[in-house]
Formats: sequence, structure tokens, C-alpha cells
Amino acid sequence: MTGILVIAETRNGTIHKTTREAAGAAMELSRRRSVPAAALLLTETQLAGELGALGFSTVYTVEGERYGKYNSESYTAAAAHAARQCSANIILMGATGMGRDLTARLAARLNGALASDVIRIHYDSDPVSVVRPVYSGKLLAEVELPGSPRIISLRPNVFEPASPSGQQAQVVRLDPDTASIRAQVKQAIQAAQGVLDVTEADIIVSGGRGVGGPEGFGVIRDLAQVLNAAVGASRAAVDSDWIPYKHQVGQTGKVVSPVLYIACGISGAIQHFAGMGSSRFIIAVNKDPDAPIMNKADFAIVGDLFKVVPVLKEELIKILN
Amino acid sequence: MTIVVILKQVPDTEAVVRPDPSRPQGILTEDVKFILNPYDEFAVEEALSIAESTGGEVVGICIGPAEAESAVLTALAMGVDRAMMITDPGAVETDIVTKGRILAEAIKPLNPSLVLCGREWIDTQEDALAAVIAEYLDLPHVGNVGKLSVESSKLTAVREMDGGSLEIESTLPAIVSCSKDLNEPRYPTLIKIKRAKTKEIKSVTLSDLNLAFEPPRSRVKILSSPPARQAGRVVKGEPDATARDAVAWLSDEAKII
Repeated sequence: MTGILVIAETRNGTIHKTTREAAGAAMELSRRRSVPAAALLLTETQLAGELGALGFSTVYTVEGERYGKYNSESYTAAAAHAARQCSANIILMGATGMGRDLTARLAARLNGALASDVIRIHYDSDPVSVVRPVYSGKLLAEVELPGSPRIISLRPNVFEPASPSGQQAQVVRLDPDTASIRAQVKQAIQAAQGVLDVTEADIIVSGGRGVGGPEGFGVIRDLAQVLNAAVGASRAAVDSDWIPYKHQVGQTGKVVSPVLYIACGISGAIQHFAGMGSSRFIIAVNKDPDAPIMNKADFAIVGDLFKVVPVLKEELIKILN
Repeated sequence: MTIVVILKQVPDTEAVVRPDPSRPQGILTEDVKFILNPYDEFAVEEALSIAESTGGEVVGICIGPAEAESAVLTALAMGVDRAMMITDPGAVETDIVTKGRILAEAIKPLNPSLVLCGREWIDTQEDALAAVIAEYLDLPHVGNVGKLSVESSKLTAVREMDGGSLEIESTLPAIVSCSKDLNEPRYPTLIKIKRAKTKEIKSVTLSDLNLAFEPPRSRVKILSSPPARQAGRVVKGEPDATARDAVAWLSDEAKII
């Protein structure tokens, strides 16, 4: 078992950025180990050429209605089939909702080792070892993977994406066994147009206890809109029913690592910081200069968020236009 | 119907977690309060409310050291009928895929209609359990569920996924991992906390499950603290001036806009 396999994800006719990032890691492994890398494309198979050009020697595709929407049973069967085709020893995928679900079931199907939400790969270690956050990022764990194959999901926004090469991959259509499908997707409910999820956004504007109530999120949303950012929230705001749970950032919410995190009226409790402490830049707006977030932020504004945030928005509109 | 709930003990979310210098794969446990994994509370609550309407038994299963009994007691105090604990080091100190395989063996003889677990273990930060158990039991699973309705032979679940969601219908038996939107966990009353101590906690070994020790497929070599964030610039004063400073910093220094 020597091969490398990337399981691709597409969104609305494009290759998802986490797949490009997984391809980047796969190419690095492929170069150092002198083994070829293959990719599996389950949806929008017209993208096979574009995917192959990221450096893959082979792109496996599948056809059929049962691959139209993510389904853990049919996708696991197809991924296991592809893994056997290329004798995969390392399988990589983005740690998206689908990626985390599929890699989990696949790891059990292949009786392999699983490492999820990985932020670093020690490319030269043999067998490959990885680094992943634990305790919601309060600590980092270096993890050895003696089991085989190794199924690894990569945290979005961390790995360098592969750039297109002139290479042309061989496209091979697979015909995996029909899995018995017992859990069926009845309906996909998309997020409202223009509403970004905190796990996918490059910028997050977040509100905490300091926003004071559901209406207080108005200024947060206004600023987020100008920056094309997602709206986040602290546990205090969610537990007060000011905003739905899907916005919660922290140890019992979502763990995020955007380019910019703007924390408004958030004190920065340990469990919240655990969820956003790996953001590249942090801006904090808080009345209390002694709030824990204030000495962890790259730029801390001491002041009333209801006065500061609207001005911030106006100033940003000026500069962005 | 019989419902199984998977339980795990974890450090409290507010705990400061530090690596143990004498045992770098582990953490210092002094001063750390341990609790039932917060997401497991949603699983327990959901199991209890389903059992209340359909009738049947709720059985908790926990892999953990002897000290994890306090997390099991929390679940029993909430209303879980009985529990099993697997304390073998070969089960406690192994990876999530192997744990899922062990749990699958422990679940099998109970022949449950539904297995519930929390969406994620907040200590190892892993959310693979439902899928792994389901695979070893050859059953369907639905992960990260925020809404669930269970009938006699099927379930309908809403799975949260990257901003949107999927409505999924599955046959039973099935494994579901539970998220916070699902319910509001009940607080155990004093009398129930007392009664929990009289409920059965059965100790189960790997050999009881006809499983031999298996070396872990993955193992933590060393834990370390991430680089601490340094304090940056702090500005105060008129909102107009501070906001303008921030925008200037974003464009000139952070170079984001």
C-alpha cells in the first residue's frame, strides 16, 4: 500500500478550496515519497480535467444518481473502492462537514487510522505523523499513525493550495458496488443567500454578552455585510437566545481560523478563545480594558461597541469603495 | 425500544489544560474539574425523551478510567436506566476508531433501535464516533443532528452541514450524533442524584466482549501548548478616532483590506 488518494469536493461547478489545499499536501507527499497521487471526484465530473491539472496522475470518477448529493453510505463505498484501486496508504480530504463525516466512516471501512482536522503534516516522517488541535485548540497534539491506511482530514485555510500544472491526468471511471442506502437525503436546505457560515468565512464579526440582546446583533450584522463576513457569537449570547446556535464559536460551538476575527463585546472566556485563538488577526472591541480578550487581540479598541462598530463600518465603506 | 447512549468524561470547558511534563501524552489533572461531555448531555436528554414517549430502556455505555464513573452517574441521575463501563487500559488508551469498534461490540448484544452519542468529544476534538460505530455495526448513521423525530421503524433528522442543512430519513436501527439545537438537557434533582447511586453500573472487559488487545492505530506522541498570542496595540478615546485607527491598521499593517 503506497498510493496517495485525495477525495475531492465540489460546490456549484467549482473545485472546493479545501480540495485544492488537500491536493497541495498530496503533491508534497508525492514528491518526497516518489509515489503518484490520485483523486476521486464524486460530483460534477466535468471538473475531472481541472482537478487532474493540480498534479494528479489519475482522476477516478463515478456516475449515477446515488452520488448526486452527499450520502455517507454510497460515498464510503465509492471512496473505499478508489482507495483499493490505487492501493492508497494515505487518503486526504478537507475537514468540511462532508469531509469529517466521510473520512470517519471510511476509516472504519478500511480498518485504518484516522486523524481529523489536521493542521500540519510531517512530510518526511515514516509512517507519516501529523499535528492536530485538541481541547479546542488549547493544546496541539503530535499524532503518530501506525495503522494503515491513514485517513486524514485537513483543517480549511491552513495548507497551501496546489497550483494548476500542465499535467493531464488519466480519467478512470469506477463502478463501485451498489451500497445499500438506508439513510436517504430528503431535502437539502441551503443557507439563505449571502449568509456565510463561520467555518467557511475569511472574516468573522462576532458578538457576545456586550451586545445586550437580539437587536444588538444589528450593528454586528451591518459590519459583517460590509466585509462580506460571517456573523459569530459567544456562548453567552447563544445561551441567552439572542442568536441561533449555528453562530456559536468556541469549545462547544465551532472552531474557526479565519484571516480576521472581530470580537465585539466578548470578554474572551477560555472556552471562546479556544474556538478562535488560531485566527490570523484578532480585533477586539470592549468597554472593559481588562477583559481577557484585550491582551490577546492584535488590535484592541477600548470603547462602547455601539459607538465604535458603526463608525468602523462607515470608515470601511469609504476605503472599500 | 432500547436506546443506547455513549458517554465520555472530559475536562470542563473552562478548564486550563496543560501538558503533564512527566507524561507528555497526558494533561495535568490537578485543579481540573471533569464533567460529562457537554454534547453527551444532549444525547442523554434526547434518549430519555424518546424513551418517555415510546417506552423502553435507556442504557449508557462509557469507555473511561474508573474515575469516569462520575460522568456516568450524571447520566444516571438525569434518568438513564443502567450503565456499562469499560475501564480496560486497552480500551481507554486507544484511538477513536478502535474505541468505536469496541463500543460496537458492547452495543451488539443489547440490540438497540437507536444509538445516540454527542456530536463531538470536546477533549480529543473528534466527531467520528457515530460513523465509526455505525460502520462496525453495518448500520446507517446521521451525524451532527439538530432536530430528530423517531417513529417505530424510521427516523427523520436534520443534519447541520457547512451553513446549510440536510433533512435525512433513515431506517432503524441507526446511530445519531447529537448537537446543541436538539434539546435543553434536564438538570438532575437531588433525589435523582441520590437514586443514581443505586442504579446498576456493570463493568465490562475486553475479554467479556471477546476482543483481544489491539495496538492503537493512532497515538499521541506529545502534547504542547500553542504559541501564546501576544498583546497587540490598545487604543482608547473617541469612537471616531479609534475606529479610524483600526481601519488604518487593517490596511497598512495587517494588509487585509
